[in-house]
Amino acid sequence: MQEKKGYVSFVLHAHLPFIHHPESDDYLEESWLYEAISETYIPLLTIFQKLVDEGVNFRVTMSMTPPLLSMLDNKLLQKKYINYLKQHIELSGKEIKRTAGDERLNKLSHYYFDRYSNDLHLFKDVYKCNLIAAFKHFQDIGVLEIITCGATHGYFPILYVNEKTVKAQIAVGVQTYERYFGRKPRGIWLPECGYVPEADKYLKEFGIDYIITETHGILYADPTPIYGTYAPIVSPQGVVAFGRDMESSRQVWSSINGYPGDFNYREFYRDIGYDADYDYIKPYIAHNGVRVHTGIKYYRITGKTEFKDYYNLQWAKDSAERQAGHFFDSRNAQIENLSKYMDTPPIILCPYDAELYGHWWYEGPYWLYVLFKKIYYDDCNFELITPSEFIDKYPNMQVATPCRSSWGANGYSEVWLNPTNDYVHRHLHVAGDRMCELANLYPNAKGLKKKALNQCARELLLAQSSDWLFIITNGTMVDYAKKRIKDHIGRFTKLYYQIKNDEIDEDFLKDISKKDCVFPDIDYMIYR
Amino acid sequence: MPRKTKEQNDLELRKEENIEKTTTKKAAKTPKKATSTTTKKSSTTKKSTSTTKKATTSSSKATTKKSTSSKDSDKKTTTAKSETTTASSSTKKKTAASSTRKRAATTKKATTTKKSTTTRKKTATKKTSNKKEKVEVVEYYDLPYRYNQTVVKVLAQTPTNLFIYWDISDKDRKNFEKKYGEHFFENTRPVLIVHNDTIGYSFEVEINDFANSWYLNVADSKCDYRIELGRRPITKTQEIQDDYIYVSTSNEIESPNDHILFNKEQKMVYFKNVKTGEQISKPISSISFIRNMGKIYNIYDLYKELYQNESIEELYDLSNPSSGNPSSR
Repeated sequence: MQEKKGYVSFVLHAHLPFIHHPESDDYLEESWLYEAISETYIPLLTIFQKLVDEGVNFRVTMSMTPPLLSMLDNKLLQKKYINYLKQHIELSGKEIKRTAGDERLNKLSHYYFDRYSNDLHLFKDVYKCNLIAAFKHFQDIGVLEIITCGATHGYFPILYVNEKTVKAQIAVGVQTYERYFGRKPRGIWLPECGYVPEADKYLKEFGIDYIITETHGILYADPTPIYGTYAPIVSPQGVVAFGRDMESSRQVWSSINGYPGDFNYREFYRDIGYDADYDYIKPYIAHNGVRVHTGIKYYRITGKTEFKDYYNLQWAKDSAERQAGHFFDSRNAQIENLSKYMDTPPIILCPYDAELYGHWWYEGPYWLYVLFKKIYYDDCNFELITPSEFIDKYPNMQVATPCRSSWGANGYSEVWLNPTNDYVHRHLHVAGDRMCELANLYPNAKGLKKKALNQCARELLLAQSSDWLFIITNGTMVDYAKKRIKDHIGRFTKLYYQIKNDEIDEDFLKDISKKDCVFPDIDYMIYR
Repeated sequence: MPRKTKEQNDLELRKEENIEKTTTKKAAKTPKKATSTTTKKSSTTKKSTSTTKKATTSSSKATTKKSTSSKDSDKKTTTAKSETTTASSSTKKKTAASSTRKRAATTKKATTTKKSTTTRKKTATKKTSNKKEKVEVVEYYDLPYRYNQTVVKVLAQTPTNLFIYWDISDKDRKNFEKKYGEHFFENTRPVLIVHNDTIGYSFEVEINDFANSWYLNVADSKCDYRIELGRRPITKTQEIQDDYIYVSTSNEIESPNDHILFNKEQKMVYFKNVKTGEQISKPISSISFIRNMGKIYNIYDLYKELYQNESIEELYDLSNPSSGNPSSR
């Protein structure tokens, strides 16, 4: 048996922007949530339960962002998700008939039929439509640590021009967490890992112990951390920062030999939404007839070729197991090497988008399951740990200010500030200033004015979501992102003038409060 | 590099009118308010130059709501041509936008215009058939063209690239013209002065009056920067005798660091127990620290070598914006 010399900490960042359109069924973007539930959140809950049932002691950390929590808690979206599942069950039922002549394909049709049926059963009967409670359960039994995030994933390095708006992102993030998990969060996932030292005082004010930064957030810290990313540092203001480990990240993400590119894994881009006959698939694609992903995918990556072979569930599992073994051995070797140079046990922090697991990398949750099981049963020199547990165990850390950084392309702010989206920032800044102005002009408002002021705060927060800027840079669904920015800035500005002129339009307020029904407990006084 | 995004160019064609666009019922009912908002508006928009199509570019999903509103915006742009007509046009806009709402019929009458008739008729029919349904608010917004405030803001895009945006309020513009003559803005050119307050140097960049934002390359990362907006006379006139006229200064920012610092002058390493708050310091000269640190940072160099030829390709479709993580591409 090897002696334990270090730790590995998995942090999965679960986030989707707040997309809620009670006014229409035509918004394709709403399906991001349903896809993520079926492909990531339910599979993760399933593997957590399986590990618990099998007596495997594991640790994992997840950030669940306030917009995601709000959507998971939303009755209308829950209902729409059930419809989504019913449609997919119907479609995979048709697929079973359609593929009856091909044994391999038919097996896959059955697989999808069973999978969506199982999702429906789990969602309705087991989780009672409440996935938040399902995740909370694992936090309560001590295997999962859930952390919070900025209220709407607002990117701090752009917002901090007005620090109050950063403070509000943190405050609402913490409040939302408390509402759903009944206690304060110890950690926060800084939206896009966007770190600015100016946020530290607010993080402390709201009881945050730690943050996650990109690798150079630690490596370029001041003064230089002596253990690199293998030990957390603490900022002069008292915020602990864990840095992303480069090696383990690359193993999963690398475009050359990253795990998700294995030839046996499911090919994301071959979907019957695009492949099937148009008339046949029409009821299951976008309402306006545009082909979209349905989630039913029959092919494996196969290789760098256009000719794709059918997906084979067993082969995919074999690859996941082999790669879990590789990751396991690599961490063992990495920790063996590092522990020679360090006074405290090294920690390898592995942060990923939660949606990578299952949605992008279909076999990801299974890979995680196998890995966690191996770490528990196989002989190795490390254990899984959460950042909080690590802080409690090894509270002595070097004092250094992390580097201003993000996990976006090239490590700074280019993704959220570039010629495609820089026209937005002045509007975000002015709206932020105006919100502070309102909070100072009308402290402790009552009745309708209070409602209007709170809605103003919601509109501002929704406009600040980093997702819109990201989508514009990325070039897909750009119209939607631009519309969202215009809508929220527009609603905010309109309400701003209505409040100042003491002419609040109740119907309008009611209507937008219904659409943008995020953060029911918000108090605009946070902007004071 | 001087630049204006397409959006900005587009936006120039607009005014800060989103308030009116959807302020429907009330505005129409109380023309007083309509006028007052309009006054505000016209004062904010000195540049109501001619515009055309533009407003409809912001399309997205095809919803019924949408089609109504784009018509609405078409109207808007046409009327935006002349400042003097804004008051009445904004009422038109309001009316058109409100047409699907209850009680719209009354407001409609009050402000009948040729342009909006078609839209109104259409939506009015729809309206009557849904009479018992809830009030539906039809919305369409454009971003305000400007906020009519004197402002200079700077953000760090990268450790050595700063993004600056600015504006000068109408009031300040008038004050300059009062002081330096009515052709002040024609007789001077705008400049940005970059102050590096950490190292203590400044340099000047000539910009132009067509831009309202700029990307600037700076030499030094991890430094405090402040940007000053000012003007230099093209030719000195009787009124303009100064070499430089100050306009406004930005917020101050620190540009991010972009390298491992390895400060040789640092003598001690400070540790803190985050549970007890107790702080201890250890001399950096301790040999093991230096040796180990070298080993640890060598590991990073090794990774850099290993992955130097790798560009992180777009492995995944990022239409699901779970994050901006480049690796998730």
